[in-house]
Amino acid sequence: MSEPVRIVERKPVLSNATMLHGLPDVGLVGLIATSHIISQLQMGEIAYVDSELLPPVVVLHEGLPYAPLRIFGNKGLIATLSEAAIPAKAVPPIMRKLVEWGQAKKVKLMVSMGGMPVQDRQDIAEPKVYGAASNQLLLKTLSDKGIEILRGGFMVGPYALIMRYCAERNVPAIALLAQSFYNYPDPEAAAATIREFSKITGLNFDVSKLVEGGEQIRLRARDVMKRTEQELNRMKKTQEYDLPLYV
Amino acid sequence: MPETKRRRRSLFDLISDYVEDFELLSEEMERGFAERPSWDTRSCCIEPLCSVFIAADEVVVTADLPNTDSEKIEVEQVDKDTLEIRAEMKRKVSFEEFGITHRKGEFSFFRCQTRIPVAVDAKRMKTQFKRGILEVHLPRKKGYRIKVE
Repeated sequence: MSEPVRIVERKPVLSNATMLHGLPDVGLVGLIATSHIISQLQMGEIAYVDSELLPPVVVLHEGLPYAPLRIFGNKGLIATLSEAAIPAKAVPPIMRKLVEWGQAKKVKLMVSMGGMPVQDRQDIAEPKVYGAASNQLLLKTLSDKGIEILRGGFMVGPYALIMRYCAERNVPAIALLAQSFYNYPDPEAAAATIREFSKITGLNFDVSKLVEGGEQIRLRARDVMKRTEQELNRMKKTQEYDLPLYV
Repeated sequence: MPETKRRRRSLFDLISDYVEDFELLSEEMERGFAERPSWDTRSCCIEPLCSVFIAADEVVVTADLPNTDSEKIEVEQVDKDTLEIRAEMKRKVSFEEFGITHRKGEFSFFRCQTRIPVAVDAKRMKTQFKRGILEVHLPRKKGYRIKVE
């Protein structure tokens, strides 16, 4: 029987890289942020994810077909990007495979950039970014950089699983989660996560395009957002609002 | 499958399979009825992302309306349980801007209709538009109170 998830490498993969994840989630924050970084660093495709658990979709760019879930690389960075919503049932095996693959490629840090839905997001001028990490040392690094730690509560979805599998396998991982809309694309939240990512990696990115060109991004991202919301509902993403039993 | 690996299926497995089949069927029905493009070239309209939140005292409808000004937005209760949101865009957008060249058409408006599942007093409706998000507050109609003894 074939593997449920395969990563097909198309080019040599850098070792000792930082691995970023831009997967569809609330506000499409990680997807927008990672897409912006890929474009700014002119990262090229190095691998793609093949799985029968994904819908029968190809994305056409300049007439050529590409897998919707691809891995890019350049300048010490590896970035996963999914241009289509990932079905809820496919999320666990795909996240496990991405973490296993990253570990095999000796990534030094996995970074998930995403959103944390808040009510009245439209009243927040500058979304605050919270951090989570797979070990104590990284929590301290985040605190030292002035990033407030998510001390309690639930994380649900692709980033929750990346964090869990990384912790299980001792792969260093952090999540940068900006206050965001739940089901509306949020380029400002994406810009906020990139600013914090810059503080940690020392890489600088111009985020003015995300802030000033935000309206255009929101128009383009409507359909992906709609399908992502359907999958988030299947994952019971709203459990993130729940209060935990133990403190 | 080898005899040794065959497992007796419990009642819970059967119920779980049944629930899964039912969910798949309802998803298929949902897709069959609801899936359509989020745009309409004949009316030059794009359907905005929209959501409805039902609170104890009010229903809050929000819509993502980028590329719009507040004075170009209209909100109307078209029948007792349907709200329509229309907005003219600041500038027209075309398929080409989205990287699509095999379709032709330009869009100048947002338009969506959303169902309000509880009775509301639309005359007391309040709206606000901030960061491209329209928020419509519709007070819920009150029933009657029962005295707790």
